[in-house]
Amino acid sequence: MTVFKTFLKVLNKCKVPIIMYTVILIAFGGFNMQTSENSTNFVASEPDVLIINQDKEEGVTKNLIEYIKKNSEIKEINDDEQAIDDALFYRDVNYIIYIPENYREDFLHGENPEIKIKSTGDYQASLAEMMLERYVKVANLYQKNIEDEQELIEKINETLDKQTEVEITSKLDTDNLSKATFYYNFTNYSILAGCVYVICLILSSFKEEKIVKRTIISSMNYKTHNRQLLLSNGLFAIVLWIFYVVLSFILVGDIMFTTHGLVYIANSFIFTICAVTIAFLIGNLVMNKNAINGIVNVVALGSSFLCGAFVPMEWLPDSVLTIAHILPSYYYISSNEMLTSLETFNFETMKPILMNMGIILLFTIGFTIVTNVVSKRKRRIG
Amino acid sequence: MAFSNIENSEKLEIIKIAIVDNEDFQDNEIWKEAFKTLSDKENEDRLFDTKYTTEEEAKQLLQDGEIVGYMKLEEKPKVIVQSSGINETILKQVTEEITQNSEIVSNLAENQIKKEMTAGNYTIDYEKIYKDILEMTQNQEANIENISNSNLSYTMIEFYTLIAMACLYGGILGMVAINQNLANMSHNGKRVSVAPTTKGKVVLSSILAAYLVQLIGLALLFVYTVFVLKVDYGTNLPFIILLGAVGSLAGLSIGLAIGTLLKTNENVKTGIVISVTMLGCFLSGMMGITMKYIVDTNLPIVNKINPASMITDGFYSLYYYDTFDRFFFNVASLLAFAIIMMILSYTSLRKQKFERL
Repeated sequence: MTVFKTFLKVLNKCKVPIIMYTVILIAFGGFNMQTSENSTNFVASEPDVLIINQDKEEGVTKNLIEYIKKNSEIKEINDDEQAIDDALFYRDVNYIIYIPENYREDFLHGENPEIKIKSTGDYQASLAEMMLERYVKVANLYQKNIEDEQELIEKINETLDKQTEVEITSKLDTDNLSKATFYYNFTNYSILAGCVYVICLILSSFKEEKIVKRTIISSMNYKTHNRQLLLSNGLFAIVLWIFYVVLSFILVGDIMFTTHGLVYIANSFIFTICAVTIAFLIGNLVMNKNAINGIVNVVALGSSFLCGAFVPMEWLPDSVLTIAHILPSYYYISSNEMLTSLETFNFETMKPILMNMGIILLFTIGFTIVTNVVSKRKRRIG
Repeated sequence: MAFSNIENSEKLEIIKIAIVDNEDFQDNEIWKEAFKTLSDKENEDRLFDTKYTTEEEAKQLLQDGEIVGYMKLEEKPKVIVQSSGINETILKQVTEEITQNSEIVSNLAENQIKKEMTAGNYTIDYEKIYKDILEMTQNQEANIENISNSNLSYTMIEFYTLIAMACLYGGILGMVAINQNLANMSHNGKRVSVAPTTKGKVVLSSILAAYLVQLIGLALLFVYTVFVLKVDYGTNLPFIILLGAVGSLAGLSIGLAIGTLLKTNENVKTGIVISVTMLGCFLSGMMGITMKYIVDTNLPIVNKINPASMITDGFYSLYYYDTFDRFFFNVASLLAFAIIMMILSYTSLRKQKFERL
């Protein structure tokens, strides 16, 4: 109880920076969700295309524009080349099509006019390019044989209308699930950063030389002392975790009330416990208060980058993902990713997720043991 | 943080699919040939890794997540996938392209035959017509010219925000430096305030010292990002250094301002410097690159006064644009920001007087 009381006292003393930091992290989580629709993570099958038409919108040109409109998400961006380039860089549009002046005339004369494009070179852009190429090819082929523009357009459309029937077997709400995954992946950063920052800050007060000396000569076993401290810190972390869970109900919505949501929550709970032990270990290693910030960044930002909390996992190079295997965040995030496509819940399908949870728990135990070893060593004061 | 080859994985990967190997498919040369070419290991434009199975097997494979989807050819082709997504769409697009191509071939052939008939030619070589048209469809190229900038690697922003964060963390140094001179913050400060040396001199020299330390730190970070992480800052070295130096100054000045304007203990001041830095970095895209764009397009004013964003945007414009207007605008705003912060701290520092401590 003594330890817990001291813990609360220290917590009270540092309340301003702690509340500030926590509020900021929670706000980040919330804000970040607003960008999720625009994020690279979002599953969308229609590329975002911007058309800049320098020709008159009639005849063949009009038909080309309509065809692209039908098959992609058309973006409207100010007619300012810099804004357009920015949009391309940040993947707001994947593909920009510049229809040249006199396109219609030139095309009807069989000149195969050059169409300039700008492309991000990713999946979506390739898709848009496939679409444009197909149109141009089909149009060129018919143009050689059909004189009349109206008939030509009809023929082109008739051919391009031959679409493949698609059947989707999954009944999952993929959009909302990827939203939840996006949110919970981000909590990897906020939970780690929050725990490491706060716990290190609090532990550093316990590490002042006079206090350490008093603690060592007290009758309390160092293991008991560590355990009580760990539990008190755990309590703080759980409060933090509850905040995030509540926020996820608000931001993600209905899907959190399903089994999927339950697994997301359970997964993040296990990760939170692991984060506490990581923070506890770091707090025991680090004596200098000023170093805490640097460490928070290395640990929280570093493992979030490496394990794909900010950049989708599938984009990360294999070498990075191999390195990421030594970090608990990797298992947390890959469970979240698996959940996106998990359809039925039974032992067989849940196995990889349960495995991941097990690995995170092993990490937790490992960190606790190392902490005890470290703090035993540190008890010797020269 | 080895993002060096991240863009490679952004390009198209080979998609695993299955095809129901039924009679309709076996009888159809166009389809058989098309999928054979697209799944050919020797083919540079290989798109698919195709398994030929029965329908049950394909269903099972799909359920196990082994394949993206499968195609069944009856009268018409049908694509069965688990969810909507990019790979699924590509499969759909490809099957459509094949359907449409065969449609074109038959349309054009029909047309050709009609023409020959009306021309009075009744000894038609059907084989040849089909072959010619097929060849024509295969050789038809779309005339598309890609004019996009090759510097499109948007993970670079991540590193630019990192540099921005390093610059702004200089604020902690600035704050520590100023605390050494404040009578209410340290014993050192008490001594400074009663010493006969001009206060301005002492403050200025400690600020310069902090700035120097910060520049050395930043230089190390640059060396590391350039040589180990292979970050691309563009080619204009003097401008990169200029931006780094101005950015650090802005960071330092935030620390000075927070150090002088707020009258609380060191923990809280550090907390505020960090929060301001983190918030700035967050808005400039550190925890999700899209964030910067969202703010830039919807609330541009926020990023115009956010030093982290000015630094990030400065590097971005050096990397992505050939012109320097935007770069210099960012440098100028950073300077203005730093000057305002310094004037604020200067006035507040001048006013400080302590009757007792």
